Amino acid sequence: MDVFILLLEGIFVSFQPLNLGLLIFGCLIGLFVGAMPGLGSVNGVAILIPITFIIPPTAAIIFLAAVYYGAMYGGAISSVMLGIPGASTAVATVFDGRPLAVKGEAMTALTAAAVGSFVGGTVSVILFTLFAPPLAEVALRFNAPETFALMVMAFATFVGLGGDDVPKTIFSILIGLALSTIGLDLITGKPRLIFFNIPGFLHGINFLVLAIGIYGIGEMLWTLEETKGKVQMSKLSVNMKEVGRAFGALKKTIMAMNIGSFLGFFVGILPAAGATPASLMSYGITKQLSKNSKEFGSGVPAGVVAPECANNSASTGSMLPMLTLGIPGSPTTAILLGGMILWGLTPGPLLFTQEPEFVWGLIGSLYIANFFTLVLNIALIPAFLMVLRIPFAILAPVIFVLCVTGGYAPTQSLHDVWLMLLFGFAGYILRKLDYPVAPAVLSIVLGPLAEKALRQSLILSDGSMGIFFDMSEKPIAAIIMYIAIVLLIMPAFGPLYRKFFKKAQTT
Amino acid sequence: MSIIKKLALVIVSLSLVAVSSVSSAKPFSPKKPVELIIPAGQGGGADEIARLVQGVIEKNDYASKPVIPINKAGGSGGEAMTYVKKKAGDEHTLIITLNNVLTTPVNQPELGIDFFNDFTPLARLITDTFLVWIATEGKNTAGVETFDDFIDLARGNGLVMGGTGSMSEDELLLGMMRGQFGFDAKYVPYSGGGAVAKGLVGGESDFTLNNPSEQMGFYQSGDSKALVMMTPERNPAFPEVPSSYELGYPDLEYYMMRAFMAPAGIDAEVEKYYTGLLHTVYHDNEFQTFNIDDGKLMSWLEGFGLKDFLAIEYAKHGEIIKNFN
Amino acid sequence: MSITNKITVKRAEIAVAVILALCSIALMIKSAENRITWNAEENMGAGFLPFYLSLGMFICTVLTIIKFVLKRSPQSKDDSPFIDAEAFKYIAVTIISLVILVLAIGYLGIYFSLIFFLAFYLRYFSSKSVLFISVFSLITPVLTFLFFEWLLKIPLPQGISEPLFYPVYDFMYS
Repeated sequence: MDVFILLLEGIFVSFQPLNLGLLIFGCLIGLFVGAMPGLGSVNGVAILIPITFIIPPTAAIIFLAAVYYGAMYGGAISSVMLGIPGASTAVATVFDGRPLAVKGEAMTALTAAAVGSFVGGTVSVILFTLFAPPLAEVALRFNAPETFALMVMAFATFVGLGGDDVPKTIFSILIGLALSTIGLDLITGKPRLIFFNIPGFLHGINFLVLAIGIYGIGEMLWTLEETKGKVQMSKLSVNMKEVGRAFGALKKTIMAMNIGSFLGFFVGILPAAGATPASLMSYGITKQLSKNSKEFGSGVPAGVVAPECANNSASTGSMLPMLTLGIPGSPTTAILLGGMILWGLTPGPLLFTQEPEFVWGLIGSLYIANFFTLVLNIALIPAFLMVLRIPFAILAPVIFVLCVTGGYAPTQSLHDVWLMLLFGFAGYILRKLDYPVAPAVLSIVLGPLAEKALRQSLILSDGSMGIFFDMSEKPIAAIIMYIAIVLLIMPAFGPLYRKFFKKAQTT
Repeated sequence: MSIIKKLALVIVSLSLVAVSSVSSAKPFSPKKPVELIIPAGQGGGADEIARLVQGVIEKNDYASKPVIPINKAGGSGGEAMTYVKKKAGDEHTLIITLNNVLTTPVNQPELGIDFFNDFTPLARLITDTFLVWIATEGKNTAGVETFDDFIDLARGNGLVMGGTGSMSEDELLLGMMRGQFGFDAKYVPYSGGGAVAKGLVGGESDFTLNNPSEQMGFYQSGDSKALVMMTPERNPAFPEVPSSYELGYPDLEYYMMRAFMAPAGIDAEVEKYYTGLLHTVYHDNEFQTFNIDDGKLMSWLEGFGLKDFLAIEYAKHGEIIKNFN
Repeated sequence: MSITNKITVKRAEIAVAVILALCSIALMIKSAENRITWNAEENMGAGFLPFYLSLGMFICTVLTIIKFVLKRSPQSKDDSPFIDAEAFKYIAVTIISLVILVLAIGYLGIYFSLIFFLAFYLRYFSSKSVLFISVFSLITPVLTFLFFEWLLKIPLPQGISEPLFYPVYDFMYS
């Protein structure tokens, strides 16, 4: 009952004129920032923080959370419309969203994404409200071995994402991981793989550089070759019948919604994970558990709902450790955390008791932001369709401009723009030869997290891998690790099982 | 052709405007936003101060152009220092320091950074101290009430220390303590002070050597406690924590400096402007209150005093690194 | 014409596989600048993971080459051109203009480089009027400036054109 009263007060706070105005403004900015290739919630929130000095902390956090939230919705728009993820959190949305758009069912994809996001966000914020204190305890117990086990589980779910050519898929995963080791080694403090002593390699390779290179530059080159610059991008039509059909298609995605919402929330509250791995895992698991998993990748609504549901759910979940422990659950919440310190708040367990207006105002605003973003998102679909009707010869240079500025902005280094071009060209050629490129992007994101967790664990265990399988000492790590192993083996046995079962049925 | 002609016209007219505004002689003030380079990641101690300085300047209009913090965390500050070195003579770049500016030139000689000639020190605003932290309910440190209890325990057992990264301040400090107290500990690096604090409370490490602000949340909630503060005097933010001098360990003294530097080769006029700006920020009420509440020491230093201080600290860190290896 | 016909998918496949194998070896050698062994004291060295990851990459490329030699991959049997002549022209022009763009950003600054890039690219690929192209090429950098420098406060590189922006900043922050 207590929670319910606090929540009502929080919703009341977020209905104050300034807060509500900033919330809607934040959702709008978030939608556009998310939709722009190269700019995701991280960039959007980081660059808007200086603006928040002129407003009170509660209004500031509501505004930035709305940007964060809107970007999760917005990311899907460019994934579907252009085939370029607007942010890393929407990478998995491309897998089925793009094929749907190519088939002329962009409306279905966009509706699925918007509704999926809404469901994920709403389920997650309800879970957030109800289970905040006990879940904070669980997250607190996650240390290096548990994190590494979680990473292995994430990689296990990627196995199903590659193409048919196994060596090329594994190559892609490995090159992503190898690229992620560039820079300073955290454990020994030694610089690694600093090619030709160029100082730009010291900060490692930001995953955005690879992601924009491959999904921005590479994708444009690919499209340019397909269309020879003459054809417009996919033609689409909006009418009520389409929307109705889209909603009809959603009936089949209830399983995806369940997986996305709950998995997303859980992955989100874990430190170091966040919305990107959540969306990828959700996609992978939904695909593996689905009856028609073979159709995934060719454009099924469930393949859009699963990652979209999970990224919204995870972005809400990732604010939980931020608020309760002062530990960011994702890169974006890391920046929000920095903002809170600047506003004069001490993030940590005391925030719930000392600053209830701030905490519950934020939680209340999430309920409302969900609703507004859904409405704005669907209402703005015609605006985004206009973007698509622009001839490719004009759209392409604009996207190149966005890629170059987006590649520069996060690290403010021209070195990264050169790398981005290189990855774009290389990615284009490799993709033409059936090397899957998505696993490389996934592993460059998770590589550093996995390596850090692995090596911290090995220091703690004096070099023994047993630390990950010790049921009595580290039960959570061990359980996750066993699940990961089952997930790894499942794709190998799945087809065998189905073959056997089918045979048994037909004979 | 006509496009190029139009462009040429625009460029010529713009450059005329620019030349006329540059040539007028006035005391220096920034002509464009000032880049404030942070040689560490977002959310750490240096980042916190840099963004506080940015906010205070912006809120009170202390400068005609905004200050824009830019994180260049690569290579333990190596990337940031290389960047500022290349900007010699640039009047719109500043760098905030952590102690890694003292250690990285020594640890990574291949970067070719000359600490004394590649930068123009402006002012030191704050010194941050270090404390020895344990978890209130730490399973390996149960029964430890004082720093002496802790040393006794640490001598006999291989405790685990959480730290912010190899060859960073706290590992050097651990090296110092090894020599002084004759105990060894397993050093587990994390990726920032916040993660270190959480690892401690989560029971993954037994103790940490953290800055006050990084552990503040867990300190206030009672989840972790401090045994000693490595300063001559107690700090009002932690009234019950004894200083190392009180406990009879005056050698256990260590500070993290929060100073600002500009690239080498800037005019005295420019140097004077930025030092003055930092001085205004230093005396700002909000800046003072925030830092004192956070347990930091306000310690303004400029000019020759600062240069001497840096020379001493650089030599001291060189010594620590030598002993460490 | 003839060059693009000679580069078949088959030839591209083996050439890329060999290049990637060489890159993997280079990465292994570079990793070995740090310790790549596992010892009881400190378990894996700084070079351990990069070394074995690049070894894995090398093994994958060797498998790709073996599949090619045994004609087990679809690419190994494909004699069609890797890219057709017309598309090649578009791709080549795009890549070269992007490289020139980034080179120019370092020298001329991003805003003026963008004007030239957009004017060239639109003139080459689209059939829009000179007026449209001029307006578009000028407005895009202006919007980029407003978005990054004014709204987001991220300074973009200005190269030698930097003094031209001082009056703009004076105006923005006065």
